[in-house]
Amino acid sequence: MSTELHTLSGAYALDALSPEEAEQFRSHLAECAACRQEVRELTHAAALMGEVEATEPPTELRARVLAAADRTPQMPPRVRHLPSGARRWTPRLLIAAAAAVVLVAIGIGYNQLQEPEQQLAAPVAQVFNAPDAHRASMKTANGGEVSVATSPSLGKMAVETDKLPELGKGQVYQLWAIADGQPTSAGLLEDPDQGAAMEMPAAGIRVAITIEPAGGSEQPTTEPIMSVVPSQV
Amino acid sequence: MAEPGLRLVHSDDSVDIDVLVDRVARGDSAAFARLYDEVSASAYGLARRVVRDPSRAEDVTQEVFLEVWRKASRFDRRLGRAKTWVMTIAHRRAVDAVRRSESHKRTDHHAAPDEMTHDEPSDTLIEAEERDAVRGCLDTLTELQLESVRLAYFNGYTYREVATLLDKPLPTIKTRMRDGLIRLRDCLEGAR
Repeated sequence: MSTELHTLSGAYALDALSPEEAEQFRSHLAECAACRQEVRELTHAAALMGEVEATEPPTELRARVLAAADRTPQMPPRVRHLPSGARRWTPRLLIAAAAAVVLVAIGIGYNQLQEPEQQLAAPVAQVFNAPDAHRASMKTANGGEVSVATSPSLGKMAVETDKLPELGKGQVYQLWAIADGQPTSAGLLEDPDQGAAMEMPAAGIRVAITIEPAGGSEQPTTEPIMSVVPSQV
Repeated sequence: MAEPGLRLVHSDDSVDIDVLVDRVARGDSAAFARLYDEVSASAYGLARRVVRDPSRAEDVTQEVFLEVWRKASRFDRRLGRAKTWVMTIAHRRAVDAVRRSESHKRTDHHAAPDEMTHDEPSDTLIEAEERDAVRGCLDTLTELQLESVRLAYFNGYTYREVATLLDKPLPTIKTRMRDGLIRLRDCLEGAR
């Protein structure tokens, strides 16, 4: 774990990181339970500081907000923290990576406090529309299609997943980064229509998608429906 | 044992708010209206402090409650209390609003945190005591910790901007923000 990153917990809890730094920090959080706990506590402290500022809003705002909610659909729930029960992937899927790098994924819903979903789509489009973008499309084993784009200038990759078949209620698509034969979760595709964008993985790192029980898994429990080495796109 | 009335973290009203969010997740409009009544002053007050302009603060507050409405089913009380969740959304949206449109217009950097005055909401004694406790705990921060935390939280500055404003190295500001919040957390824990 990087101490450097860890000390950003305060700035993160204060929303004082740039979007890129916040992304990096979130990927750090995904791997560090102690850091998640610290961020929760510091965020709580910050919120209490914010509550000191309480001021009654104008009374007419109430009707406006309630009327707007009345016109707005709600998001379905998701299930978290499923028991792992994972098994190792078969060796043929595991391609040793030249260097291990942490894959940073946006679009991970593991932390409700930090993940505005409207931020997802824009970075995806940004990568796909980059002047130096490399793009590739591939069929998935479950009869869908995924497009991948990488942009060296942005240092990012993105996947478009809106052509993946819709899953049943108890299932979710999960992204993985495989480095040195070891899959690490890169997050759930909570909303495949939005896709996902992430930091460009180092050469040789493989990115794969599996279908997992709702809430995701610690390790893959099914064979990937697709996998790709982004540096070769 | 806590002092009477001083219930900072696990107060009864926070339990109510958790329950309200659960009901909102099931589409309960009445619970949503009640939730608005319970937390709108906190959300609006914070938004107003950050974005300054009252009508923009109203817009931010509306966005906050719509996000709460849409995402109530995603709220996980194991990860914190519901009011913190709402305040976190409020802060992020307020900061986004400021960064989107006012990055070059903001003028009063240092003065802001202490010199703004607000109408205190008509509220209960308990809430007033909680506020006093937070203020008291903020006083235990060093000057640089407090300034770093406040410039980031209430002015919406990034830690890089804060470092520039205060003319300090980045790692110093990063550390002061973290240490400041840790001190605030520990002090509030002690006050509970």
